[in-house]
Amino acid sequence: MTFLTAVRLSILPMVLAAGVLANRMATQADEATLIRAAQRGDAEAFEALVRTYDQNVLRIAMNLLRSPEDARDIYQEAFLRVYKNLHAFRFDCSFHTWLYRIVTNICLDHLRKRKVRREESTIVDTPEGPLDRMEQFAQNGPGSDPERHAWNRQLQERISSALEDLSPRERMVFELRHYQGLRLRNIGEMLGTSEEAAKNCLFRATQKMRSILGEFV
Amino acid sequence: MKCEDVSRALPLYLYGEVSPATEEAVEDHVAGCAACQREFKLRKAVHSALDARELTVPAGLLQECRGDLSRRIGREPVHDRGWLGIGGWLRESMHDGLRLRVPLSAMALIAMGYFAARLTGPLTPGPATPGGGSFATTNAGLESAAFSSSVRAIEPQASGTVHISLDEIHRRDITGRLDDDKIQRLLLDAIRQENSPGVRVESVGMLKECVQSSPVRAALLDAVAHDSNAGVRLKALEGLKTFVGDPDVRRTLSQVLLHDDNPRVRIATIDVLTSHCDDAMVGILQDVFQKEDNQHVRTRVQNALREMHATIGTF
Repeated sequence: MTFLTAVRLSILPMVLAAGVLANRMATQADEATLIRAAQRGDAEAFEALVRTYDQNVLRIAMNLLRSPEDARDIYQEAFLRVYKNLHAFRFDCSFHTWLYRIVTNICLDHLRKRKVRREESTIVDTPEGPLDRMEQFAQNGPGSDPERHAWNRQLQERISSALEDLSPRERMVFELRHYQGLRLRNIGEMLGTSEEAAKNCLFRATQKMRSILGEFV
Repeated sequence: MKCEDVSRALPLYLYGEVSPATEEAVEDHVAGCAACQREFKLRKAVHSALDARELTVPAGLLQECRGDLSRRIGREPVHDRGWLGIGGWLRESMHDGLRLRVPLSAMALIAMGYFAARLTGPLTPGPATPGGGSFATTNAGLESAAFSSSVRAIEPQASGTVHISLDEIHRRDITGRLDDDKIQRLLLDAIRQENSPGVRVESVGMLKECVQSSPVRAALLDAVAHDSNAGVRLKALEGLKTFVGDPDVRRTLSQVLLHDDNPRVRIATIDVLTSHCDDAMVGILQDVFQKEDNQHVRTRVQNALREMHATIGTF
C-alpha cells in the first residue's frame, strides 16, 4: 500500500462521517425552514411537516391503544394541537421531541382513562375460544400453518396480558424503546423525566414481561 | 460482575442502553456462566416474541386521518391558528416601517384590553346554544365562560384611526344532570358535531343511559346507521341493546348488519340482534352469510344460525 493510499483510506471514514453530518444538518435546516414557514401560516409547509411524522404517530397510537378508532382520535388531537401551538415552538428542542411530547401526553391520558374505566379488551370470548378483535387487521397469509397460528394466538394473548399489566408510563417507555427504537435519553426528554427514570421504567416493564412470558417462549 | 448484576443489566444490554464497560463485562460473564447464558437466551426469546406484537396500521387509515385533519384545519377559526392570523399580520405590518407602528401598537393594546375585559368581566348567559337552539340556565349550572375572536376585516380611517370587524366566539362550560332536558338537548346536538368523533363518542356514551327517551333513541339509531366513526357506531349500538325488541331498532340494526363496512360493528350488531328471539333473523343471517367476506363475521353468523337450529344456506 502506498503512503498516499494509506492516507486516502485513513481519511475516508472522516469524509463519510462529515458527509453524513452535513446531510443531517441540511435535513434539520430544511425542517427548520418548513417550521418557520408553517408558523407564518403556510399551509403547504404545515402539511409537509405532518406527512414527515404522521405515519409514526399513527403507528404509536395503534400499538399502544390497539384500536383504529382511538388511533384516529389521537392522530387528530395531536396534529390539531400542533397546529394551534406551533407559534409557540421556539426551537428549544427538536421538533420531533416536541411533537412526540404532545403525542405521548395524549396517549398517556387515553391509557390512564382506560385503566380507570377498565376499558374493554380487544380480546373477546367466542365459542371457538378467545378472539382478538384486532386480528381482523392482521395479515394472515392464506394457507398458514394452523398449529403455528394457534400458538401465535396464544402468544399474542400472553403478550396482551403482559402489556396490560404495565402502568401507562411503563407501557409508553416500552413502546417508544422497543417498537419505535428511540433512545432512553430522548424518551426521558419527551416524557419530561430523566434518562435514569426512563431506564427504571423500561427495566420494570421488561421484568414484568419476563415473568409472564418467560415460561412460554 | 456477579450473576445478579448480569441479571439486572441484561434487559438494558439487549436494548444497547448500557455503557461500553458494562457491555464488555456482561459479555465476559455470560461467556463463562451457563446459568446466565440460559437467562440471556430466554431474555432474547422474549425480546423477539415481542417484536411480533407490532400492529400493522390498517390500509387506508392514514389517508382517512389525513383527510379528516385537512377538513378539521380548514374549518378551524382563525383565532385557533395559534394567533397566526393576528400575530402574523402584526409582525408583517411592523416591517412596513415606523409609519404604522404607533397606531398599530395602540390598536393591539386596545384589542388586548378589550379581550381581557371580556374574559374577566361578569358572566351573562346568552340565549344561543352551540347547536343553534335556545338555552337558559335551569338545573344546569353555568360555571365559566370564555371568549375569543378573530379579525375579519381592517379598514384604515382617514382620521388616522382604524376600523376593525371581529367575529366573536363564546365558549361556556356547563354542568348539569343527565335527566335535565337542556343537558340532553346539548348532548343531542353534540352527536351531530361531524368534526369531533371524540365528542360524539362521549355524547353517545352519556345518552345511552337515557335510551328510554324517544328523541335519544332516534339519535342513537341515526348514529349507529350513519355516523362515519366506527367507535361512535359501536357505542350507539351498546345503548340500543335494551331496546332490541323494538321493531324500529331491529329494522335499523338489520340494515347496519347488511351494510356497515366495519367488521367489528357487524359482529357487535349480530350479538345485539341475536340476544332477542326473533325467527325473522334467520333469513337475514342467511343473507349475511352469503354476502359476507370477513371470516370472523361469517363464523359469528354460523354460530348464531346453529344456536337458532337453522341451516346456513337457504337452498
